[in-house]
Amino acid sequence: MSPLFLNLNTAICLSLTLFVAGCNSPNEKQNQIDYTTQFPQVSGGTLINAMTGEPSGLISMIAGESASSAISSNIFNSLLKYDKNLELEGDLVAHWEISADQKTITFKLKPNLKWADNKPLTSADVLFTWQAVTNEKNASPYASDFLLVKKAETPDAQTFRVTYEQAYAPALDSWAGLQILPKHLLEGKDLHTTAFARKPIGSHYYQLDSWKHGEHLKLSKNANSVLGPAQIDNLVTRIIPDNSAQFLELMADNIDLMGLDPIKYSRIIPARPELQKKLALYKELGNSYTYMGFNLKHKPFDDVRVRRAINYAIDKQEIIDGVYLGLGINIASPYKPGTRWSNPALTPYPYDPTKARALLKEAGFTDSNGDGILERDGKPFSFEIITNQNKEREKSAVLIQRRLKEVGIDVQIRAIEWASFISRFIKTGDFDVVVLGWGLGLDPDQYNIWHSSQQASGQFNFIGYNNPKIDKLLEQGRLELNPDKRMEIYHQFSATLLEDSPIIYLSAGYGLTAIHKRVKGIDDPSPPAGIGHNSQDWYIPQPLRRNEISAH
Amino acid sequence: MNTQTTLFKKALSNPLSLAGFIIIVCVFVLSMLAPIVAPYDPNYIDVKAILLEPSIQHWMGTDGLGRDVLSRMLYGGRISLLVGLVAVGISTAIGILLGALAGFYRGWVDTLIMRIVDVMLSIPSFFLILAVIAFLTPSIINIMIVIGLTSWMGVTRLVRAEFLSLSEREFVMASRTLGAKNSRLIFTHLLPNSLTPIIVSAVLGVAGAVLMESGLSFLGLGVQAPQASWGNILTDGKEYIQFAWWLSLFPGLAILITVLGYNLLGEGLRDALDPRSGTNH
Repeated sequence: MSPLFLNLNTAICLSLTLFVAGCNSPNEKQNQIDYTTQFPQVSGGTLINAMTGEPSGLISMIAGESASSAISSNIFNSLLKYDKNLELEGDLVAHWEISADQKTITFKLKPNLKWADNKPLTSADVLFTWQAVTNEKNASPYASDFLLVKKAETPDAQTFRVTYEQAYAPALDSWAGLQILPKHLLEGKDLHTTAFARKPIGSHYYQLDSWKHGEHLKLSKNANSVLGPAQIDNLVTRIIPDNSAQFLELMADNIDLMGLDPIKYSRIIPARPELQKKLALYKELGNSYTYMGFNLKHKPFDDVRVRRAINYAIDKQEIIDGVYLGLGINIASPYKPGTRWSNPALTPYPYDPTKARALLKEAGFTDSNGDGILERDGKPFSFEIITNQNKEREKSAVLIQRRLKEVGIDVQIRAIEWASFISRFIKTGDFDVVVLGWGLGLDPDQYNIWHSSQQASGQFNFIGYNNPKIDKLLEQGRLELNPDKRMEIYHQFSATLLEDSPIIYLSAGYGLTAIHKRVKGIDDPSPPAGIGHNSQDWYIPQPLRRNEISAH
Repeated sequence: MNTQTTLFKKALSNPLSLAGFIIIVCVFVLSMLAPIVAPYDPNYIDVKAILLEPSIQHWMGTDGLGRDVLSRMLYGGRISLLVGLVAVGISTAIGILLGALAGFYRGWVDTLIMRIVDVMLSIPSFFLILAVIAFLTPSIINIMIVIGLTSWMGVTRLVRAEFLSLSEREFVMASRTLGAKNSRLIFTHLLPNSLTPIIVSAVLGVAGAVLMESGLSFLGLGVQAPQASWGNILTDGKEYIQFAWWLSLFPGLAILITVLGYNLLGEGLRDALDPRSGTNH
């Protein structure tokens, strides 16, 4: 039988090679280029990337979608930003001060800031932006953070001061996320309908050059950029809704970078020398993790011994190796490893089935009828894991199912379509165990996920977690603005959480990116802020630029 | 009773339907013997052997969790065939019952049943099944029942037509004149003589049910993990189609060949039944 397979395989490889070669023909010259040569750093050139969805507009506080902010973050500045190590630094702001009672923050803008149309950028623009985001009429999804501001004022053109009802630690993070809009162009306009959303004027490295609906957005350098010039002249973002079509375009040299899944990253590209020659692969830890969560209102998951037993019974490394092809990290706190909020003293529960069995026995589970499944009070220990139709999560659940069977727990798996998963099971609390993921912001505040007050239908504490100690730490964390003291609080929070094991961390996955080797100046390995943190310093050496584009 | 035997003999003399018959027998035997012939436990996970190409160890390669695809195909075959047979059993039983009632009693019973048939036929069955499954727990038993409950209309029409025409035949009229009870008329005269077209329609129905089950499992609404069915092996393969061709090719071929087998046999039986092609009844 094997010769048949061999032939088929060769035929498929052959046709793919032909296809790739066919697509490459206009750029044949570049195939001979050795991308590892050192080239002088000169500004200019065009970087092409792709996104699956088209932004609805470029005022991101109104659009509230990632496609919009991905583009607008190149056009607009915020007051603050995160540096490569995820520490806050000034963006439009030269420095900021927090009052002794921690309720007032005073921002001092950098001098001589200008919009791309040469008009001055002042504290009046900041005040206008705050008014816009909190204006009920604008219905911004980001309003809640800014509604906590009791008073906002502009003592002079360079000073902006906000006073909160009570100290609010995530405040600075929220100002790092709010893109400042020009008052002189937007005052009195309806932000939902204004043409500005498709013809924005900003202050950042780039400004919008053209937007061809359904095809691409082209950004070009902003001469008035408040942070100085970027290296690359043009950023083109093509709209390609299908992921595999994007990958074909990447292979054909028509886009310079795209996000990958583990299979493409560690199997497909490494197996193709012609792709390896021109694509550099990057991995960076994302700010998200996959977990298995218990419905703590259901028995026996209210018993910490049972939760810990299950934690010991699951081999997390096996899930990382088998499902994420090694591209994940076994974590012990709900923060990105390596950041200040992640408690380095904690270690994940090891895979220890013996300990698991002992804990289950302690909790009253024994296999009294010898069928291999544990019972308590005559009832077999059996539950259902539900997850949405996500291949990685389904596979993780299958691995969990097998490991739990080994310690005598019977598990069924059900994968449910997302909308009914949320409305029928999560919102109603009608589930035993879920396998899901959390994507997190940069601020450590996780009040809405863990605080006992956040259990109403539709809120994020749907596992019904109720721990007074955790509640208190979360409340303290919100009030503490000193970063070191705050870190202490969240380290303690993570430690308590790990001990209580209301969820089982399965893996923190990597963000995987392929970037064409013509792009230079990329930090590798990527710093905590991610690979794109210095994209303004990326450059494309003259000899490596695309012919058709470097011509003009 | 002899009619069915001659029908089969006649159908199998046609090389195409013989091929169909052989395919069905092979698929049956292999699936039934799965515990003996499968080289591995179909649910045995080996994360060190993920997505291996077909080789001597794994004739059809391994899947995204390192499970042996051949073993999963063999066990998956059982699911597909079981769903096919049980679903068709249910739909045929309902079809015979309703068709017999409509064809025998006529009048308002007939009108009522046939209007229900019309209504059922006006709903695209795949979407009807999707809607029903969305409210139930997806499981193999529910799938069989739902497919069965939504595909009886063809058989009903067929049986009704047979009953209508048979009731006018001399031997039925004679029996009726002699005072035979309705039950005797139905079970000894009408039903046995309608059996041949029912068998043809059932054989073709199995092909449809196998396809339907694969479709549902492909959409994640059929057999649930870790159980294998051809449809869900195919779904797993979709993710890796650029890279792991064996995960899409083998289940795809299995579905194709099995459905083809039932269709060839069904067509052969239908041809053999056609009065223009030779003797009948």
